[in-house]
Amino acid sequence: MDYIQEGFKEALKLLIGFDKEVYGIISLSLIVSTTATIIASFLCIPLGIHLGLKEFKGKRAFSRILYTFMSIPSVIVGLVVAILLSRRGPFGKFDLLYTPKAMIIAQTLLVTPLILGLTYSLSKNRGKEIERIGQTLGGNKLDIIILIIKELKLDLMVNIVTAFSRAISEVGAVMIVGGNIRNRTRVITTTISMMNSMGDYPMAIALGIVLLIISFGINSLIYSYSGDD
Amino acid sequence: MEISIHNLKKYYGEKLVLDIEELKIKRGRITGLIGPNGSGKSTLLNIISGLDREFLGTVKYDGKLLDKDIYKKMTLVFQKPYLFRRKVYENIEYPLKVRGVNRDERRERVKNIMERLEIEGLKDKKGHLLSGGESQKVSLARALVFNPELLLLDEPTSNIDPESVKVMEREILRFNEETNGTVIIVTHNMEQSERLCHDIIHLER
Repeated sequence: MDYIQEGFKEALKLLIGFDKEVYGIISLSLIVSTTATIIASFLCIPLGIHLGLKEFKGKRAFSRILYTFMSIPSVIVGLVVAILLSRRGPFGKFDLLYTPKAMIIAQTLLVTPLILGLTYSLSKNRGKEIERIGQTLGGNKLDIIILIIKELKLDLMVNIVTAFSRAISEVGAVMIVGGNIRNRTRVITTTISMMNSMGDYPMAIALGIVLLIISFGINSLIYSYSGDD
Repeated sequence: MEISIHNLKKYYGEKLVLDIEELKIKRGRITGLIGPNGSGKSTLLNIISGLDREFLGTVKYDGKLLDKDIYKKMTLVFQKPYLFRRKVYENIEYPLKVRGVNRDERRERVKNIMERLEIEGLKDKKGHLLSGGESQKVSLARALVFNPELLLLDEPTSNIDPESVKVMEREILRFNEETNGTVIIVTHNMEQSERLCHDIIHLER
């Protein structure tokens, strides 16, 4: 039991002492996952709303495929991105593998089906009524998409937070495309995984605490916002 | 706005729910649509409003088929109004905003219509938290605020208190008199149709 207590003490020392490496890892994690979530949200929210409202051939099949991709394993996304970005791959010339950019690409692809699927489902179920009202009040297509985003903003925020949580807590994709290189591509989850295998618990515990604090902070924010509403 | 309907047929699956050979709704008149449940009153309203476009036949607005310009000149008030999750003021302001009306004019027009419908006190309340009667009045205010040429009302006063019904009927009449706007109202209430309507159309099942 002593080593766990020691682990916690050391973890707190690292956090309170603003350990450069620990905070570097935390900030890279936040940058990568936030950027990926923002990119995916900008692309998928308008598209998900549009597809949810639109009637098209094969909509049921599309729904099934989309919902399947929502739970795609992160290692598969990592593998696909790694193959595409490797020297011999179609995008090898850009020299992106083992860089934070590659990690952002992988996490964007990981959360894209999640945000698209959740938004699509929301729009399919609740967007039609808002669309009808928007139409009868004279809104054009863009007005209506903006109206739906505003009306469903709380649900959309929950979707975005869900996607961010998936991004920041995944380890497979960033490990494969980032390579867990010290001071370059090391993020919270890859560090915890590595420290655990090395038996070096203080930093793993410190980063675990930070991960929990981030989750708690984001959920509190959403909760207080919905309470206001 | 004058509405001319020619050989209109509407099917749900294989079932024919609406069959109108010829119908003219005159400009500047209040026309009541009455008939039993399932006679197609709301379906007809949805077709005229452009929400339902899957039908056979033609519907013309002042001799023209539905286009973007006509779309902007009409509105529909539903039996169960949906108000946006924002302030009542912003709900009523919405149709003016999408028509590019400037802020000062929007403020003036929203204030006027709120006074007329006696809902000034609701200005800062959230639309989705209002009672049934309040929601209906706000919904009517949102429809009247941009002075539509065609106002479609689907049982707008069902299940609300008599005082609110009185205010709403007064404002529908005033709108029609002041702007010469065409009104089509679906109602089950014969007394209401007598109080409001110049013309009545009976739809049979």
